[in-house]
Amino acid sequence: MAERAFSRSIDRVSDVYRFAEEIFESDDIAQDVRFPIHLALEELFVNLVTYNEGAERDINIDVATHDGGVTVTITDYDAQDFDVTQSRDVDVKATLEERKPGGLGLHLIQHMVDHLEYDYRSGRSKIRFTKERQ
Amino acid sequence: MFEILFGDEGEVICRGRLDAAQSEKAESFFGSLSGASVVDFEELEYISSAGLAILLKTQKRLSESGAALKIVNVNKHIHDIFRYSGFTAIFEIETK
Repeated sequence: MAERAFSRSIDRVSDVYRFAEEIFESDDIAQDVRFPIHLALEELFVNLVTYNEGAERDINIDVATHDGGVTVTITDYDAQDFDVTQSRDVDVKATLEERKPGGLGLHLIQHMVDHLEYDYRSGRSKIRFTKERQ
Repeated sequence: MFEILFGDEGEVICRGRLDAAQSEKAESFFGSLSGASVVDFEELEYISSAGLAILLKTQKRLSESGAALKIVNVNKHIHDIFRYSGFTAIFEIETK
């Protein structure tokens, strides 16, 4: 298990990736697990940075591996209440003319990770997700 | 690391990881396309919703003049993302 704090900037996305990838390399995690975890990490980190304007505190990321699977916990102590487990209104069957760019991030996470939990208390948002070995 | 450039046959070559931090570079390049284009994902390892939004925006813009993007050499993981996003119905896609 490893934990690191990241400042609130979209540019830190590559540092978040490298942090997780180093753990996956050392624990020999399969690509089928790594890919959805990297995607969920980026989408959630970017959401917290983008939609919590005025927030200053770092975002904490904890990565734990277990039997070939991975559990990530993202804690933001400076967040607004936004339940990432709720379904979003994205019509992926719409025609090209009807489709609007954006809004796919949470939709993808909800389909690609195995467990997704959200807890919010007094400005502290905790998101935990898991991808099991295939 | 993300690179985007034209190949020898005019195709758009994407390399590396197209994440939110790289989306500005991709958006600028795709915004310069004015006609039907083949986009080669042979060396693209990863894409997130930021990259998907650029592809969709480009496809919508090109469709107004009857043109479209064709995305080739897509890896299994990116194809899963395309499938969950409904992109397999609105783009011509070829897997590796």
